[in-house]
Amino acid sequence: MTMTELSTPQPGIKRFIKVDWNIGALKTAGPRYWSFVWMLIIMTTLGVLAWVVVLTTGGNAMGQRDNFTWGMWFADYMFYVGLAAGGLVVYASVHLFGAEQFRPLSRLAVLMAGVLTMIALLGDLTDLVRVWRIFWFVVTPNISAIFVYTGSAAGFYMVLCFVDLWILVTGVGGEKLAFRMTLIALPVAIYLHTTTAFVLALNKSRELWNSAVLVPIFLTSAVASGVALLLICAYILQHYHVLEFKKSMFRSLATLLATVIIMDLFLLVVEIATVYWPTAAKAGHTLRFSEFLTGPYAVQFLPVLILGVIAFSLLAGRKTRHMPAVQITASALYVVAIFFKRYTLMSMGFAIGPLGQTQTPYIPSLVEALIAIGLLSMGMLFFTIATKILPLRVPLEEHEEADASERADTQNERVLEPGVAL
Amino acid sequence: MSQDKTRDERPEGATAPEGTTFSRRHFLTSIGIAAGVVAAGVVPAALMAPSASAEDATPTTAAAAPSVPGGSTDPLAEIIAADGPVNYPGHPVHYAKPAGKEKWAMVIDVKACVGCRKCVYACVEENNIGRTSGFTYIQVLEMEPGKIDLESAVLDYDEAGRPDKWYFPVQCMHCAHPPCVYGCPVQATWKEPDGIVVIDYNKCIGCRNCMITCPYGARHFNWVRPEVPAAEINPKVPLGEKAWTAEKCTFCVQRTRNGQTTACVEACPTGARKFGDLNDPNSDVAILLKTRRVWRLKEEYSTEPMIWYVG
Repeated sequence: MTMTELSTPQPGIKRFIKVDWNIGALKTAGPRYWSFVWMLIIMTTLGVLAWVVVLTTGGNAMGQRDNFTWGMWFADYMFYVGLAAGGLVVYASVHLFGAEQFRPLSRLAVLMAGVLTMIALLGDLTDLVRVWRIFWFVVTPNISAIFVYTGSAAGFYMVLCFVDLWILVTGVGGEKLAFRMTLIALPVAIYLHTTTAFVLALNKSRELWNSAVLVPIFLTSAVASGVALLLICAYILQHYHVLEFKKSMFRSLATLLATVIIMDLFLLVVEIATVYWPTAAKAGHTLRFSEFLTGPYAVQFLPVLILGVIAFSLLAGRKTRHMPAVQITASALYVVAIFFKRYTLMSMGFAIGPLGQTQTPYIPSLVEALIAIGLLSMGMLFFTIATKILPLRVPLEEHEEADASERADTQNERVLEPGVAL
Repeated sequence: MSQDKTRDERPEGATAPEGTTFSRRHFLTSIGIAAGVVAAGVVPAALMAPSASAEDATPTTAAAAPSVPGGSTDPLAEIIAADGPVNYPGHPVHYAKPAGKEKWAMVIDVKACVGCRKCVYACVEENNIGRTSGFTYIQVLEMEPGKIDLESAVLDYDEAGRPDKWYFPVQCMHCAHPPCVYGCPVQATWKEPDGIVVIDYNKCIGCRNCMITCPYGARHFNWVRPEVPAAEINPKVPLGEKAWTAEKCTFCVQRTRNGQTTACVEACPTGARKFGDLNDPNSDVAILLKTRRVWRLKEEYSTEPMIWYVG
């Protein structure tokens, strides 16, 4: 079934690249919607102006320094790339594992993943004062530099998400193509998070980063924060009647979130144990980690543990897990916790430099903060407009198909059969 | 290598002891096994260490020989062989003459160093380091006696020459396996045939990943446009093009490839620094490496620094 069959000619709908763009919806949007959109436009403009300041005055407009080599942009890169994962996991679980309860979320999830990866990549570019030199990435890439892998993976992943969205919205290729795309997108997502973790983990010069456990931590943090953000977005869009979901969908999402949160926290505890256990402890490691437990960096790191434990506790109770307020609070807490985690991870490379000198904590300059807020606003602007004009609502027929497949397992298998027999 | 050859040669009329005669089948099987083992080792090694050159893989007689003075083999041969070009584009960096046949190295006597920072100042003047850039190529650490504990070292000490401390100058080590070169995503930095690690300031994108990968804190970023008073500008060294790029010690490539020594060696009042060519058996560095007990900073990282410490 395709959108061509479903769509009926309506005023204000323009068809372009086989997608029905509901431009008319913008005309009928209320003042609250437009004031929100204008606020985002202003913030984005401020971000662009801040970037112009960096391009004209150079890197000294930033709070980063010689011994705090990377800052806000890198924390944001890890954060946004991670958030993008949630979308893909949900999308993949629909088409790969037959988790039909998430089907109504699939278009929203892929849109979110694409937009987040886009702002993650733009964040990298805004850090470069001579951004036009980026063409050397293509001309003389260095195969031993992990940046080449994570950068290209992020670019490919972003394109993949938007192509996936187009396939889901237009229905081109049907379930079979959607399934095949999942087979590509899921390994690419894992590859992206692995290479992002490797940007840190592959440095013997930075003791706290140089840990293989960083790769699984990146995967669990990414999925947890991504699912949490998706859950919040789903509630917001349901509130504004853009999309509708069943309660069971939110319950499934919350259960998935709780599971990934506890895995994420477990891996963190494992890493801390390795740093401090007497038979494993190295002076350089413990000294550096102590900066984050009791030193000046504790304000960055302790929220990761505290918010994480609270979020899990909220979702752990079977009796309360289904309550929207609990789900939203836990999700919001964990998204914030993961932001702190990314910021802390960034700081862990620099708190004590390679020559042993302790650094005062980095705080982004106004210019860096404006760029970061501008990029986030830009992403939200894209998202806000897309939710209005794109057909994100999964057609009823697909729901019914899904319901039918839920009722009969055998039928469910048959639905997936064409894809399985690739 | 010549010794190995000599050992393999069989004297005329000699016969192999019983049980060790080689049939063709045995020979071919051995070759096959050896080739398999080599292939199995080379594939992952080549994937994991793209820097490894053919020279690196060639075992030398020095590798097996004890590196003691008076030994029949050259203990520096392995070091020299490992110190080959990495990501070298085939031509020297635009601000330097082509590399010669030398393999540059430095030896610093920490016993003689008094922490006066004269090397630091000479380096700043020689290399057009921005006076407001906030960094120097050489960082002298004031160390506690009895240990090499970087975490308790003081970088911004006020008083030099304290008898209860020792002083530890650190700069770019021009590693044989340079993590900074491996980490540069666009190959804007490379190791030249004479071992000097250079940066092409016109190509550097300013991502600062090299500063992350360097275990010696040797690379620095020009957050501001480097400013040097007009009268103090060294015309042989780039200045304006260094803005918003990473820079570091170049072993004074503009001097050393013109027959001079480095500015830091020249400025050192105690003669604690020695610089020279490892290929020259009469150079200070070659003699010191052969005759003294030397050590390198963070040797366990396998970066194979080309600066040794003694004292």
